[in-house]
Amino acid sequence: MSLFKARDWWSTMLGEKEEFDQGCLCVADVDNSGRDKIIVGSYMGYLRILNPHPVKPGDGGQPEDLLLEVQLREPILQVEVGKFLCLLSVYGILESRDLICIQSMDGMLMLFEQESYAFGRFLPGFLLPGPLTYSSRTDSFITVSSCRQVESYKYQVLAFATDADERQETDQAKLGSGKRLVVDWVLNLGEQALDIRVVSFNQTVSSVFVLGERNFFCLKDNGQIRFMKKLDYSPSCFIPYCSVKEGTINTLIGNHSKMLNVYQDVTLKWAAQLPHIPVSVKVANLQDLKGVIVTLSDTGHLQCSYLGTDPSLFQAPRVESRELNQEEFDAEMKELQKIIKEATKTQGIFDMSIDSEVEAEAVPSVTVKITIQSRVTVKKPNLEVCVQAPLAVTCEQFVFDDLEPDSSETVIVSVFLKRNFSPSELEGNCVLSYSMPTGILKAAQCNFSLPLRLICFPAQPSKAANHKITIDTNKPPISFLTIFPDFVDPSEDDQANVLGFQFLSGSKATLLASKTSQRYRIQSDQLEDLWLITKELRLRLQEHFKKRNCKDFTCAFSGSIPLQEYFELIDRHFELRLNEEKLQELLSQRAAQFRAIERRLLTRFKDKTPAPLQHLDTLLEGTFREVIALADAAVENQANIFQAFTKLKSATHLVIMLISLWQKLSTDQVAILEATFLPLAEDTKEMGWEETVDAAISYLLRTCLSKSSKEQALSLSSQLCMPKDTSRLKKNITLFCDRLAKGGRLSLSTDSATQQAAVMPGETLGTCSQFTIYIYILELKILQI
Amino acid sequence: MGLEPEPLFQAWSYFRRRKFRQCSDLCSQLLEGPHGEQEPDSEYSVFQAAWSLKTRALTEMVYVDEIDMDQEEIAEMVLDENAIAQVARPGTSLKLPGTSQGGGPSPAVRPVTQSGRPITGFVRPSTQSGRPGTMEQAINTPLTARPITSASGRYIRLGTASMITNPDGPFINLSRLNLAKYAQKPKLAKALFEYIFHHENDIKNALHLAALATEHAQFKDWWWKVQIGKCYYRLGLYREAEKQFKSALKQQDMVDTILYLAKVYLRMDQPVTALNLFKQGLDRFPGEVTLICGIARIHEEMNNISSAAEYYKDVLKQDNTHVEAIACIGSNHFYSDQPEIALRFYRRLLQMGVYNCQLFNNLGLCCFYAQQYDMTLSSFERALFLAENEEETADVWYNLGHVAVGIGDLNLAYQCFKLTLVNNNDYAEAYNNLAVLEMRKGHIEQARALLQTASSLAPHMYEPHFNFAVLSEKVGDLQRSYTAAQKSEEAFPGHVDTQQLIKQLKQHFAML
Repeated sequence: MSLFKARDWWSTMLGEKEEFDQGCLCVADVDNSGRDKIIVGSYMGYLRILNPHPVKPGDGGQPEDLLLEVQLREPILQVEVGKFLCLLSVYGILESRDLICIQSMDGMLMLFEQESYAFGRFLPGFLLPGPLTYSSRTDSFITVSSCRQVESYKYQVLAFATDADERQETDQAKLGSGKRLVVDWVLNLGEQALDIRVVSFNQTVSSVFVLGERNFFCLKDNGQIRFMKKLDYSPSCFIPYCSVKEGTINTLIGNHSKMLNVYQDVTLKWAAQLPHIPVSVKVANLQDLKGVIVTLSDTGHLQCSYLGTDPSLFQAPRVESRELNQEEFDAEMKELQKIIKEATKTQGIFDMSIDSEVEAEAVPSVTVKITIQSRVTVKKPNLEVCVQAPLAVTCEQFVFDDLEPDSSETVIVSVFLKRNFSPSELEGNCVLSYSMPTGILKAAQCNFSLPLRLICFPAQPSKAANHKITIDTNKPPISFLTIFPDFVDPSEDDQANVLGFQFLSGSKATLLASKTSQRYRIQSDQLEDLWLITKELRLRLQEHFKKRNCKDFTCAFSGSIPLQEYFELIDRHFELRLNEEKLQELLSQRAAQFRAIERRLLTRFKDKTPAPLQHLDTLLEGTFREVIALADAAVENQANIFQAFTKLKSATHLVIMLISLWQKLSTDQVAILEATFLPLAEDTKEMGWEETVDAAISYLLRTCLSKSSKEQALSLSSQLCMPKDTSRLKKNITLFCDRLAKGGRLSLSTDSATQQAAVMPGETLGTCSQFTIYIYILELKILQI
Repeated sequence: MGLEPEPLFQAWSYFRRRKFRQCSDLCSQLLEGPHGEQEPDSEYSVFQAAWSLKTRALTEMVYVDEIDMDQEEIAEMVLDENAIAQVARPGTSLKLPGTSQGGGPSPAVRPVTQSGRPITGFVRPSTQSGRPGTMEQAINTPLTARPITSASGRYIRLGTASMITNPDGPFINLSRLNLAKYAQKPKLAKALFEYIFHHENDIKNALHLAALATEHAQFKDWWWKVQIGKCYYRLGLYREAEKQFKSALKQQDMVDTILYLAKVYLRMDQPVTALNLFKQGLDRFPGEVTLICGIARIHEEMNNISSAAEYYKDVLKQDNTHVEAIACIGSNHFYSDQPEIALRFYRRLLQMGVYNCQLFNNLGLCCFYAQQYDMTLSSFERALFLAENEEETADVWYNLGHVAVGIGDLNLAYQCFKLTLVNNNDYAEAYNNLAVLEMRKGHIEQARALLQTASSLAPHMYEPHFNFAVLSEKVGDLQRSYTAAQKSEEAFPGHVDTQQLIKQLKQHFAML
């Protein structure tokens, strides 16, 4: 990240597809002309000497800048200049005191005096070559070894140490001989180093600079840290170049984010953007210009640059934007808002047709065939089929390819009873969600009903039963042979007035038709089992008479509503809910206990001198077992609750139907009744059926069924919470039936008026408020970078 | 042409130029050579060198500085056995953000995170954390994408790096490794340790190796102590980690060691000790940016924004390209009503080459509040263009909605907030603001529902509670108004309007 870029003074591209690394760049006055020349060697063996003299800053390389280009037979790994000129093509690093030292890949230092081989030494503990330098003040070689330490060897020691040609002997030499290779000093850096330099700009102090992979160190002669700096980037090369202020040294550090940072000791003085990642950086005096920064990239891009306040202009790419035109914008906005409004109302575009057939097997299942036809192009249609548990479908979700206009898709699913109790409804539902080519999301849905045979089969009728209800009609009874052809075996005559049903869950129900009067009787041991049979009977009768064009067929119920039996089911459900709450509480207690024990154990185990466990482990295991057992019990209880709720729903349906037949309620009123007793919300721990229904009934009691205006003013209980017992609910339901019997009418039309009345007291109290509602507490959010 | 350096040298050179992929490939070729099956246990060989180089290259590929890695998980928070006192004294703990020594902004001005800390200007791993009280609360809190224990989550994701890089299976089979043998070879052991720690993410084996190695080094190598400390830290043994780091510091002063030790102190909730440590470190390494930055972060976390800003300024004096410092000072200026100055900081970031959605979003906001309307919309346009995911888009739309409210175009504001919710369904602030707009339209029921959603999504925000209280009070539902007002007061005890409302409600109740 920098504000400025390095100003290009002169740059050129060396060779094609050649590789360069750290040692390949050298700056020196090779021809003694008083100006520095740039010497570059490449891994491909090319040696070039360049003398840049641009006509104006920013020029590219000219042919005459190239003083020499030779190709050697070996790769050039490092170039250095001394009082002689020497090029090296062996693996190594060179240092010149008119001596040449070469470090080989296997850790041997070879010293040459002019042309002749002086001696060679293996460095102990060597693995991979590290950077190497020579300090003239202490007359020693300093390197960073594979053990991540800076090591300094005196030249004297190197020269006279045992010639450890055999590496295996090095260790022994260390132990035995007095002339073993002894390290002058060692400093553990803890990281590998990229480069190392010795700097002594004034004679009194000399420092060793080490560029590590993550930190930058400055060491004293004796190997102590003078200062260090943690780098938050990956450095690639560096050069300490001069000291401006007394006691400080400036350093150039290039990094892999194409930056060149100038530090004065540890303070960042300048940061400049480079066009490439530098592998080597030097400072040169070229053509009357002092302090030119010469950088080389690994592809051979050589650049001479200087620092300047040329902004590193970051050109943000243009965003596709239009001219600001207020009127056009307004028009577009209006158009969009129109679209938004229209998108909210949609027309059905789909036909869905459903066929079903029963396959009676061990577990009966119904095959449902769903066909989707589209009149327009739709994208990514997604069909979901759902039935009420305990029924289940074989596949719940289908994803289709995009549909063309007037094309169709067909899927086949099977519905079956999954658990051993009967559902409260034999209905299913498909929802198709899709997106229009314009990107608007829409949905279409379709219901289907499932046959009774899915959950029960014909059986012997039984005479006696606990629960009986009788439905009156205004037409003579119809033979079951006509209306229940799928249950009656035509060969047996006695089934014309009596029909037995055996549910898959095991319970039985019997349907009787009176021979003389216009009545039907349904009886069963369980109240909830009556519902599906009664519903089916009513539906089939209605259908039968519809076919005959008899429009005045009605059913009626004259007995008393089986409220007591109904209340028993409510109690059963509520009891399970209480149980659930208890289990939850126990579970959280045990979990807290478990964590407390765990914490204690943890402290014990961490202790250096552990105290005895004092049976904490036994306690832990016991608690663990308890937690698991409680969790299992809670899961089982949940399943029970669900079953009880399904039964309750069946019974509720029955009660609703009986009430409507009894009072001959209109369709609107039945709808209100259903909304009251069967809230759409799921039965959950936080909001259960009891309190929801209680709230709904008390609302009806206070509004359309209220006797006096005094009752209307009763305040609403503000929050739904689980009641302590069901007595209030039972009382309300009984009252509700009474009021209906006394001629109360269910309607919501008076709603607004009564609601107004209910709210009135609050209004009068609220007038002394000084607050206005128009306080904007819009919170502003600024993003984090 | 056609000259090729020796392969090992070439690999070594690749490594130096951070071309790790090429380096690792070349090393693999070397390893498959004649020595194929040989274990790298003989003395020096090309094989051994190549093995070590490949280890280092693989490590560097996935290296993340351990200092920046921090994520506190629920289990660690709840099972925190390092706590000395249940209730810390004011100013000595990070757990009680409310106890600032002044200088902290109020939530009315600067939004807060879930834990009640003011939002900072720079995302770092620990800024998102909050400290829920109990396990149940932690699990039930919405918006928790936090892993339950440290064995999961981010570390696991990092650990899978070993599988990605080597489809044929791991390079080194840790279970077959004789750690004791390697521990005696310091030249190999350090690279191997980093490989196990960073690449394989196998802390137990790493710790084992480090323990053997430090024994071999006769406890004289500070580096091994630091590594053992790192392992202990990962394993949650903070006291032990502290011991190791301290012992390492005694041997050799190192910036990294100081940072690790401070991290341990912060995890043990001892910010004051950490501050002292940083200050000692600064005496030894004057001007070290990471240390000053550490001090600034602690001040910020302790709600001491003004001194945090001072330290961030010190950071900039040492390193004026420090993005975190610039961003934090910028956001600090923004929230202290100096959008023009904040704008200059953000512009600086832009000039430095930061180019992302967040920056343009902030620039847009600053421009708007500094009344430079011409740049506002184009900045937001760019921000939308640069948004990388739906959360970012949602943030930009939210702020656009804000601007729309500011210029009075409520229709536009409505659509903007809707778009926010389309992009991010959990955006509590947007729910709150939509509710206010609905309230103005007179749709009481919708407003109420939206406010309830907002307060369930973000119970730490006081705005939805307060709005709900005002709304309920307006329609005469005093009871609900009172409960909501109390929640609001809990979230922001100093809010004057809430206090007035509560006072008034109490008067009403007294009259009844």
